Amino acid sequence: MDTARNAINLLSYFIIPVMLVGFPLYGLYKRVPVYESFVEGGKEGFQVAVRIIPYLVAILFAIAMFRASGAMEALTRALDPVLSLIGFPAELLPMAIIRSLSGSGSAALVADMIKQYGEDSIYVKMAAVMFGSSETTFYVIAVYFGAISIRKTRHAVPAGLISDASAMLLAVWTVRLLFG
Amino acid sequence: MLNYIWAGLIVTSFVFALGYDVRDLSHDRYRNGKPLPVVLAFPEGYESAARRVPVEIRIEPRQFAEFYGTDQPPAASYPGYLLQTQEGTQLRFQAGAKLPEPLATIGKVSHSRDDELQGRLAGFSPPLAGQGTDTLVAASGVVFEPVWFVKLNAIGAAALDFAKTAAEIALGLIGVLSLFLGLLKIAEDAGIIYALVKVVRPVLRPLFPEVPPDHPALGMIALNLTANIFGLGNAATPFGIKAMEELQKLNPSEDTATNSMVMLLAINTASVQIVPPVLLLALLGMEINRLIFPILITTALALIVAIVAVRLLGRLPGYRASDPNLNPSAPAAAPSA
Repeated sequence: MDTARNAINLLSYFIIPVMLVGFPLYGLYKRVPVYESFVEGGKEGFQVAVRIIPYLVAILFAIAMFRASGAMEALTRALDPVLSLIGFPAELLPMAIIRSLSGSGSAALVADMIKQYGEDSIYVKMAAVMFGSSETTFYVIAVYFGAISIRKTRHAVPAGLISDASAMLLAVWTVRLLFG
Repeated sequence: MLNYIWAGLIVTSFVFALGYDVRDLSHDRYRNGKPLPVVLAFPEGYESAARRVPVEIRIEPRQFAEFYGTDQPPAASYPGYLLQTQEGTQLRFQAGAKLPEPLATIGKVSHSRDDELQGRLAGFSPPLAGQGTDTLVAASGVVFEPVWFVKLNAIGAAALDFAKTAAEIALGLIGVLSLFLGLLKIAEDAGIIYALVKVVRPVLRPLFPEVPPDHPALGMIALNLTANIFGLGNAATPFGIKAMEELQKLNPSEDTATNSMVMLLAINTASVQIVPPVLLLALLGMEINRLIFPILITTALALIVAIVAVRLLGRLPGYRASDPNLNPSAPAAAPSA
């Protein structure tokens, strides 16, 4: 396990540098006007940031209220016996619930947890892995089935939710295994 | 669904806050209007004419415990000062003092600058000069400002505070978002999606048995998945929709999903990604380095679960009965969501 951890740690130094250098290099190789493409894509940064503001506000303030009222503490205490059976920290419950429903909302929760617990806390890692390893199931279903006007979705929702739930649990276990 | 969860959060917060506050009020947790016995020591002497006199505030632990009904012990003494105001002599604890509950809360809602805990002195008789000791001591009581509806105020303050934080976080992301969106645009323009399609396509065959081998649907599905793998959400969606349209051409029914459609959706929701979502990159910065592998492991396992779930659920009698490929005149018994 330790060797695996070390190997992963070593490899992880390369991720961002490889992205930073690899994409432009690949672009050059494919004769893409790399600088112009970069600027073209980068223009969206501002719009994306501004677009998520209302989502961030909606989720952050509601969660902040929930915490300040003492309701979060009560919920955590009430669910702790159940959740500790499967090794799931109650702090991640909001993330697990919101993930399948709203992408920007769950990004807001990651931001909130960074503020609450600090960037290198294990909860932030778990939340980030949850965010990165699953999709906004309901949104995907709405867009794809909406596009071809399918109304009877059959087992799409249960299958999506099963996969989401397993992703949430696996995220917790994987982070525990690698960083715990 | 999200509507109910969101509204539920807000309403629950209100109910809980109100509940806690009513409980505090009925137990008189903050002893509003009643004096807490304290002993004041004057290390620099006492001068009745001075507007501001430094004091050392000593609280007897036993009296404190009895007064507030708590078991958090106070420190041996707290630095503070006396202030002569129009309403009489005020006692203020120095800002930043480590106070036990409920004093900490009383201090937080106090109206003074710097959140100093402050109260009106009651039954204070100035120490007589010339007692012969270096420090003068006087017993007294302090009546703190009344505290009402702490939690109710706290949820309001938290909401305003975090609304501001939300905008700050979002604006702080602009730079990194631009960086990665720019990089991904290069990858997209370079056709990185097409580089992997040849690898992905054969793997997909067994997952979509209903689709004929040369049907364009498979190509679209492969493009959709590869775009997802590289985190190109903007490119993935159009391919996904195109794939759905192709699958719909093979669908004998108008409004019922085929097994292939459900499979495509499940694979999409499991979201296999080498490049993590741009928002996550922007939020975590370099920290993402260490999370890529956990994300890959998790997402790969979740994908397997998704595929197995689609297959197994598809065998359930209810879903078999609603399969448009098995019964072209699909019965209305299909569970819809």
